[in-house]
Amino acid sequence: MKIKRFRGLVAALFAVTAVAIPGATSASAATELTFWSWRTEDKAFYENQIKLFQAKNPDITVKFTPYLNTEYNAILATALTAGKGPDIIQMRPYGGMSNLSDAGNFLPLTAAEVPALKKLPAGILAAAQGYKDKKQYGLPYAVSALGIMYNPDILEQSGVRALPQTWAQLMEAFNKVKKAGFLPIGNAGGNGPALEQLHATIGPTFYGGTSFFNDVVAGKKTFTDKAYVASLKAVADIAKYMPANYQGIDYNTMRGLFANEKAAFYIGGNYEIGYFRSLNPSLNIGWFPAPKANAGAKRYVGTWADGSYAINAKTTNKAAALKFLNFLGTKEFGQALVDEIAFIPTAPYVKINDQAVKEINRWRTTLGTPFLNVVGFRYESPTSSSILQPGFQKLIVGGTTPEQLAKDVQTAVASWYAPQKGKS
Amino acid sequence: MSSALKRDQHKAIGALLTPALIIIIVFTTIPALTTLSYAFFGWEGFQRTTYVGFENFQSLFQYPYFDQFKAALKHNTIAFVVIMTFQTSIGLLLAYAMFRVKRGLRFYRVVVFLPVIFSLVVVGYLWQALLDPYYGPINQILTGIGLPEFAKPWLGDTATALPSLMFINLWRWVGFPAIVFLAGLNAINQEFLEAARIDGASEGQIFRKVIFPLLAPSLTIITVLTFIGAYEWFDLPFVLGGSNGSPAGSTDTLALMFYRLSFGSIDSGANNVGVGSALGVLIFTLVGLGAALGSNLLRRREVEQ
Repeated sequence: MKIKRFRGLVAALFAVTAVAIPGATSASAATELTFWSWRTEDKAFYENQIKLFQAKNPDITVKFTPYLNTEYNAILATALTAGKGPDIIQMRPYGGMSNLSDAGNFLPLTAAEVPALKKLPAGILAAAQGYKDKKQYGLPYAVSALGIMYNPDILEQSGVRALPQTWAQLMEAFNKVKKAGFLPIGNAGGNGPALEQLHATIGPTFYGGTSFFNDVVAGKKTFTDKAYVASLKAVADIAKYMPANYQGIDYNTMRGLFANEKAAFYIGGNYEIGYFRSLNPSLNIGWFPAPKANAGAKRYVGTWADGSYAINAKTTNKAAALKFLNFLGTKEFGQALVDEIAFIPTAPYVKINDQAVKEINRWRTTLGTPFLNVVGFRYESPTSSSILQPGFQKLIVGGTTPEQLAKDVQTAVASWYAPQKGKS
Repeated sequence: MSSALKRDQHKAIGALLTPALIIIIVFTTIPALTTLSYAFFGWEGFQRTTYVGFENFQSLFQYPYFDQFKAALKHNTIAFVVIMTFQTSIGLLLAYAMFRVKRGLRFYRVVVFLPVIFSLVVVGYLWQALLDPYYGPINQILTGIGLPEFAKPWLGDTATALPSLMFINLWRWVGFPAIVFLAGLNAINQEFLEAARIDGASEGQIFRKVIFPLLAPSLTIITVLTFIGAYEWFDLPFVLGGSNGSPAGSTDTLALMFYRLSFGSIDSGANNVGVGSALGVLIFTLVGLGAALGSNLLRRREVEQ
């Protein structure tokens, strides 16, 4: 085994970046902006939108480059730390990017330069602010909501007449679907983040949603709380409804199982709908919020402001970059994002036409609870996500217990999060 | 040779070495020393804060990093032992077969070496597709021939993921030791072999008593390179398991852990440059010492032709 040292890989990455970003352009040539994203599935959408932008701004060209979602942070961090990186950056929310914004990698945005910021609610703007300086670094473009998507045709054929309202009814529906020869859920174990989202969908009703969120953020409760352990157990319980060999099924395959009408349910975010439709335009998709854990529990819809657009602080094309950012803040672009990728808009001036998205947004506004790991515990390492993602992969094959996993998360978070310090 | 000529020669050698030295200092020595210094500072994201002494090293030996470190070190060590045992011995067998083959040596040489020149990313995705638990042909064939119990989620099961990776690594790299050994075999003076044959030695005896000892220099190179490669194993695990060593860290390696700590982990944001650098220092020390010691020991048992 003769291995190119990974230093070589990083160097190659820099080289690629260097090529992707031409320095000063000559006066006659158009200004070229580079735009990075983790949404490989939205490439066609963005390229289309860029064409519209370029038609109005013939002196600017924009090059859209998406990277694999799981590696995007590392690739972007490497480039920015080296003083490179794209002009326009699709930025993760909350702690997902705050280490980069705190290091001064992004251009602070003002409402004077980016008027769309004035129209967004404060709670949404907060997702794209620095952890320390609270400056606005990004223009948030979408809100995400977690729930259960289903295929009405398969439910019909399996004799599931009513949508499950409780956990027991959900299990009953899974069994009926299985008996009818379909896969109950497309969800599988090959992708840690997808399992974390599954937990964030079905978990809050077990741990008590927003009140637990507030207590654990304030340090009044810990992750070893019985209710939180029960939420982890729910993930372990669901594994037996996953497709055969679920441990090895990757993100695209699991989503494909639902999109290609092999699985009756898919547990996850509304942002999957666009991908499902791209695989199977005639797919009939229904959506309902995760059922309550028991008769006394409440239902919740996990939600968070998911992603924003930011500008590289070191861009040599600030004026052009701002022009493009403002294009991303227009009503037309926001409308296209909602109509074509089924995102829930951040801006009140965008209308939701899609029936499924409308329904999701209605539930979100009434049952919304913050995505615990994303909103609360991604600011320092080890994040709760970095323990839970591989932890869930172990849990669903019996490699760890819900109690142990809860203890692991608590130990990790207590090592840096002040209100949890010394608690177990 | 006059001393003036010698001085000129020294100047020429110096002039020729300088460019390479500058490149090595700027791109290897300085970054390595910088990393060493990073390990002794506190970090907030990518901003260096104050001097913290050995705090980062202490964190590395605490939960959760220590568990990850132990697991990664174990995987690197398993990879070294398994690759050394199988890849090297199969490589040696292939080399010996090619050495003895009467016709078609060039053809066999190309076939054996071909996977080595494939892009590793392509090899990774190719095997990912072949081993896919749902659509992959390997499981379909196993099920088709009546062995469904062997149709496993190869890359998704914590028990089979690392062995699968080592197998793919062998498939891809076995040509490298084979070619090195073939070169070593061709360098052996034929008179030794003829002398052994005249003395009535069997093929097995010739291989064990004459050829193998004379191959020692090649074996030294392969062992040291395998050691360095195994403890810095990054590319194939990264392509197939991502930076978290999926599933559940079962394909994690020290280099992946370093990358994850320094630049941020899978979809979960925060990084820790300080602990990452501390790990970098440890890996550097381990590989440096191991390679130096190993090559020293192995060179001692090499025989002169």
